[in-house]
Amino acid sequence: MNNKTKNAAFAYSYLFPSAFLTLVLGIYPIAWAFRYMFYNYKGYGTARFIGLDNFTRILQDIQFWDSVVNTFVYAGGKLLLSIPLSLLLAAILNRGLKGKHLLRAVFFMPTVISTAVMAVVFFTIFNSYNGILNQFLIKFNITSSGIDWLGPKHAMLTVILVAVWGAVGNYMLLFLAGLQNIPEDVYESSALDGANKVQQFRYITLPMLGPVMQMVIMLAIITALKGYESIMVLTEGGPAGKTEVMFLYLYKLFFPLGGGSATQVQEFGYGSAVAFVSALIVGMISLLYFYASKRMNRID
Amino acid sequence: MKKQLLLTSLSIVLALSLAACGNSNSNNNSEGATAATTGEKTKISYWTGDRHDAEFIKEKVAEFNETNTDGIEVELVVKGDDFDTALDLSFQTADSPDVIRVKENTIGTFYKKEYLAPIDEYLSDELKAKFPEMADLNTFDGKRYSLPNYGTTMRLIYNKDLFAKAGVTAPPTTLQELVDIAKKLTVAGKADGAYGFAQNFKNPASALGRSARVIAEMSGFGGFGYDFKTARFDFTGFKSIIEAFKQIKDDGSMLPGVESLDIDPLRAQFAEGKIGMYLSYSSEPGVYSTQFPAKIDWAAAPAPTIDGNAKGASGFLGGQWLALSAKSKHKDAAWKFMEYMYGDSILTAYQEKGFGISMVPSISAVAKVPEVNGIEGFLPNKYDGVWPVYPIVAPEGMKSDDAFFKYMLNGGDLGAVITDLNKRYNSALDDAITNDGLVAKPDPGFDPAALAGKFAK
Repeated sequence: MNNKTKNAAFAYSYLFPSAFLTLVLGIYPIAWAFRYMFYNYKGYGTARFIGLDNFTRILQDIQFWDSVVNTFVYAGGKLLLSIPLSLLLAAILNRGLKGKHLLRAVFFMPTVISTAVMAVVFFTIFNSYNGILNQFLIKFNITSSGIDWLGPKHAMLTVILVAVWGAVGNYMLLFLAGLQNIPEDVYESSALDGANKVQQFRYITLPMLGPVMQMVIMLAIITALKGYESIMVLTEGGPAGKTEVMFLYLYKLFFPLGGGSATQVQEFGYGSAVAFVSALIVGMISLLYFYASKRMNRID
Repeated sequence: MKKQLLLTSLSIVLALSLAACGNSNSNNNSEGATAATTGEKTKISYWTGDRHDAEFIKEKVAEFNETNTDGIEVELVVKGDDFDTALDLSFQTADSPDVIRVKENTIGTFYKKEYLAPIDEYLSDELKAKFPEMADLNTFDGKRYSLPNYGTTMRLIYNKDLFAKAGVTAPPTTLQELVDIAKKLTVAGKADGAYGFAQNFKNPASALGRSARVIAEMSGFGGFGYDFKTARFDFTGFKSIIEAFKQIKDDGSMLPGVESLDIDPLRAQFAEGKIGMYLSYSSEPGVYSTQFPAKIDWAAAPAPTIDGNAKGASGFLGGQWLALSAKSKHKDAAWKFMEYMYGDSILTAYQEKGFGISMVPSISAVAKVPEVNGIEGFLPNKYDGVWPVYPIVAPEGMKSDDAFFKYMLNGGDLGAVITDLNKRYNSALDDAITNDGLVAKPDPGFDPAALAGKFAK
């Protein structure tokens, strides 16, 4: 065995554990779903081949397309709030602020807390009948009666705010890493040329953060389009589907929440088809963004 | 080179240990008797989704672990609303339980999924005679999979203090009275944050499954829209019920925030006196004596009917309790635990402590009326009866409970909603008959009123 072969053998042996995990936990379930999206399968009995019927059903499935629209509203709201906010926080904490290390840790904290636990805590804050927020608003005469934060009018806003709270610290940290890579002398020379802080931010910070920004937004888009965990705890997609996002709808097809899978039929076949279409939607949007941002970089 | 070898070995060990993870119990086949002689414990697990009796069951499991002479140790796992999902996942791994709590609406599906093992080989003639055999509730294709313990009745639960404050003397018996009383209670209680009525609409299936269902059944309609006379789905009977619920909401008599209300927070609010009425199961007295001690005087009454005429039976749910897992490696040990749980002392205590109302005739004959406050309203009366098992189908589009709740929030044409539901549910029913072997035969002589009264003392 020559050196080259030996090295390759070692390289493959190092790759083996992660490749094995990817195969078992990633590729196998995908292959499983690929097969069953052409079947009617309820999790028991025989799976029945039905060709493209599941995809025809998707085209007529108003609940699914409503969930797609809800996903865009949720993801859009989350991105519009979390990206500027995390950039602003990163810019502030990048300065010689007293206690900045502590503040960075505080802002990053939500990232390490379990989404479900976080959502349970927010439920106690936002629920309409004895939520802390309503009690606070009433006590300080900001409103005369409680606001139905998880009701039809405000539920989407509430789940977006919770998602923003959970995401800001993470993106802030990535922006902070990007900001620290911008050489200080660029700012010094621009200051000598008379640039003020706003101009520095607009003409130095933002362009030089370009690659990081591109990566963060890409990450944020994918995470937001796939997010559903906190919504499941807060509203279960309700009221009446107002916060039902794509991946929650998909989850319910596999594991119905209404009294559990035993009282409702699990739809593994249709769920697999919906999973495929949902992944396609997320993939297409991510690709669109990727090419658009690359094009913008070239124009710059 | 040495470093490379070390890393390679480490990678292989890691990979092998991962592969071994799912197989840790494969050689652990010893049963109770063998374990007792060798001094090793046979560990089995019991999974339940019940929380109202959790403390009692915990106590009994601990007692079994201490007293059994077969070296069996039971791990009690109390799951929440995710019980069915967790069970599904457990059966995909090596961690499925040995004993499973089954209910009237889960045993059929668990049987089809092949989660359950028949228990006939363990049943003596005495046990067979003691525990009634009930088709589709504990027996499938001639084999028994569970035995009954207690049944669950459904009632209207009301806040007597708020009723007195509002000057209402009796609970409602019709839908119109339900709407009117909810309004009166709200007028009397709103200043203190109390409202006339509540439902746990965070999960519409759970909310309507404990409210609209019993009103429909009492009024002679199938509780899930299925008509046993015609063997077709027909949700027409739900029209006036859903309209009444909508009226209560539109009147402002419904607790604010019911859209995100789960059943436990609803109970917590009722215990605090913030809710005038709601509909639920006979597990409530246990809840208010242990889980959420009630600060109010409350009682239970038969659910109202649509027009005051009881043309059906208020569902008495049960017929099963514990089942043996088909995947259990310790079936004998698991049965010994089940045998202990089905012993007279536990079944009697179960009723006397108010966790449920016995469906076992020999227990029912001797068990005292539970000492738990409020249980008297839940004891079987002339309206209670066991309905046949409803077929579960998979309609395309929105489920009935979601469609009804959407109507309650947004309004629209309820007649059109019902026509659409009938069409989609019957199409799913036909599909299940053709492709999944579901049996649904019309029974023109089916009389829901004849189901009632068989358990009344």
